[in-house]
Amino acid sequence: MITLDLARCSGCSRCEVNCSFFHSGKIGRSGARIKVLKIEDIGIDYPVVCQQCQERYCAKCPEKAIRVDSLGQVIVSPTLCTACGTCEILCPIGAIELFEEIPLVCDLCGGDPRCVKACTLDAIHYDPEVTGAISLKDFKKSSRGLNPEEKRLRYVIALSQELRDRWVAERRG
Amino acid sequence: MQNGYGGHILRVDLTSGSIHRKKTDPAYMLNVIGGRGLNSTRLYEELPRDCDPLTAENMLLIGVGPLTGTLLSASAFMTISGKSPLTGILGDSAAGGFFGAELKLAGYDQVVMTGRCEKPSYLYIADDHVEIRDASHLWGKDIWQTTAAIRKDINDNAVQVAAIGPAGENLVKYATVACNNSRMCGRTGMGCLFGSKHLKAVAVRGKGRLTVADPLGYLDLCRELDQKIMAHPEYEKRNALGSTLLMKALNGIGILPTDHFQHGLCEYVDRVSGETLAENFKVKNKSCFNCNLHCSRYYLVGEAEAEGPEFETLCSYTSRIGNHDLEFGLKMNAFLNRMGIDSLSSGETIGWAMECVQRGLLNKDDFDGLDFTWGNCQTVEKLLGMIIRREGIGDLFAEGTRSLARHFGKGSGEYAFHVKGLDMICGDPRGIKAFGLTYAIASRGGDHLRAEPFFELTERYDEAEKRWGVRDIADRLSDNGKAILVEHTERQALLTDCLTMCKNIGLSMDILDFDFASRLLIAGTGLKFTPEKVDDALKGVIDRDRKMNIDFGVTAEQDTLPKRFTHEPLKEGGSKGQVVPIGRMVKEYYKAKGWSAQGVPQD
Repeated sequence: MITLDLARCSGCSRCEVNCSFFHSGKIGRSGARIKVLKIEDIGIDYPVVCQQCQERYCAKCPEKAIRVDSLGQVIVSPTLCTACGTCEILCPIGAIELFEEIPLVCDLCGGDPRCVKACTLDAIHYDPEVTGAISLKDFKKSSRGLNPEEKRLRYVIALSQELRDRWVAERRG
Repeated sequence: MQNGYGGHILRVDLTSGSIHRKKTDPAYMLNVIGGRGLNSTRLYEELPRDCDPLTAENMLLIGVGPLTGTLLSASAFMTISGKSPLTGILGDSAAGGFFGAELKLAGYDQVVMTGRCEKPSYLYIADDHVEIRDASHLWGKDIWQTTAAIRKDINDNAVQVAAIGPAGENLVKYATVACNNSRMCGRTGMGCLFGSKHLKAVAVRGKGRLTVADPLGYLDLCRELDQKIMAHPEYEKRNALGSTLLMKALNGIGILPTDHFQHGLCEYVDRVSGETLAENFKVKNKSCFNCNLHCSRYYLVGEAEAEGPEFETLCSYTSRIGNHDLEFGLKMNAFLNRMGIDSLSSGETIGWAMECVQRGLLNKDDFDGLDFTWGNCQTVEKLLGMIIRREGIGDLFAEGTRSLARHFGKGSGEYAFHVKGLDMICGDPRGIKAFGLTYAIASRGGDHLRAEPFFELTERYDEAEKRWGVRDIADRLSDNGKAILVEHTERQALLTDCLTMCKNIGLSMDILDFDFASRLLIAGTGLKFTPEKVDDALKGVIDRDRKMNIDFGVTAEQDTLPKRFTHEPLKEGGSKGQVVPIGRMVKEYYKAKGWSAQGVPQD
């Protein structure tokens, strides 16, 4: 799975840009499967990407268009998918989102993730050994009715708290 | 979308509320490229020359470069232009961050605003949807609050906002526009222009995707640029410190403005340096869109926090005003970011007052009882509040140093360090002659970014000989050949501005040349941007800027520097004994440009 060293992230969005370009030849956040969230009032930048969660919420696709591949990555079948949006609704952290009727989710670029290559701060890593390690149950509960951007924001606020506390302790004593 | 370009020009009349989208014309763009070139040309063609900058007649433009928002590193800027409320001549200022890329993704290369909103408003652009919204509830809010409130209004954290603070609302002449809270369009008072139009902010969200003409060719070029940046000998240091490295670097060569340019050497530089900032207050690197240098920083200090400061702010609020206390400088940076005023211009008004008091020209009684002794932090803090609210003496300070000195007279004008009304940047020109020439001739007034002739600091003598046939060009203390250097780097600087690219990378790191830019433009846009075509476009923009400024009343006599820099040799340090022979240099510059002896472009 893709892992993150949050303290290193500057929020540049190179991961996002390169993800979009690799997958579509075009550039834009809409086309990216990793999306950088900013909580600007507290200096946090956080790239949100599929966590290959234990629960595999998105795989409960009614059309059986989503399967988990050998590296733990999520693969969407373009022939089976009807763009119903269930996966988008089911993901608790906004890591899968429809764009132009296609669910976009991290596919690890087939094992050579471009976001990892694009990051020059060594903030994003790929560990092929780790998959299904993270539970998103805690985020599932209250994610109903939120759009993907709102879900991502809520997720980032929760996961960046530790780093923020560390900064405050270090700089404000 | 057109390849590279956003594909549309958006015109908004704030008075009538009429909104028009027009396709970007590729043939037109070939002559102006984009960004500042596009903005300047629009002003040249449409701006009524005699308009009062604060009236509805003035134009307010936001321009973005043709490659901004794409794979190209360090091209994240956007440029705001109009007739400057501070100087009365061409005004523009650029900021990095994420606004420029978002505007492109929404499908726009430029936003042209005219007229004036009847009540406080903000412009909201979401792809094809454009709307003028009520901002009554935002009026009075600072920039951080405004940005957060707009994102909440729209219920989208990814919306990019360029906003003004209370200073812009109160028409402080050097008010700024900020995006991403701390990324400032700082110079020439574009925030005041926003305020005069009752425009609190422009918010943009783009869900489109940009295309380039030759994706694989373009990818290769972008990778090549990435490599050049990463392999640059200064990469590590610039990554760690950004422009704040200049505190010690400029001090090392004796040109760090100290006590308002009375000294070029600051004995307490280690207390206020970028290194000390990084060690004690920085928590992490920050970056503009898609940049691989990540030269900015986030810091916490006491109860305050912000992104930045860049060198100019750091110096303006430490050594330039005799302040030894770095924490105070950092707090002021956070405060200025929130309130939206330019650190350079406000810092110069303070330095001017302090020097006038030191020399006995003016005293407490002239300044509402404020004590302007060097480094008096209480005074600085109190004054800034008064400037923002235009209260008491702050009302005069809000007009800028040129105006202040005219008001007080008594010889205080000799210590008002501006060129054409724009307060000078932090870098004593006496030890960097090409920079001195740049301040004198820059089309927006006393500023380095119009040419950023960084090459003169490199001591690359053989390279200087190879490029221009004059070895002295690599010697910062020599004025020989500097007009040739400035003529060259002025085009290079404009090129980065047209691409809305970062000058730290394009120019200071000497990474962007005309041939490479031409290849990027061709692969990106598919238009025939040959090196010759690019150069013609750049020369055209520079000449038009000059003609426009002449219409605004600029004369050759104003292409000069304050007397201190031409007549008072530096007393100590690495540039001891130096002054700038500005008259001779300006004449040589006109000649290099092919302008008349009076600095008028010849058709």
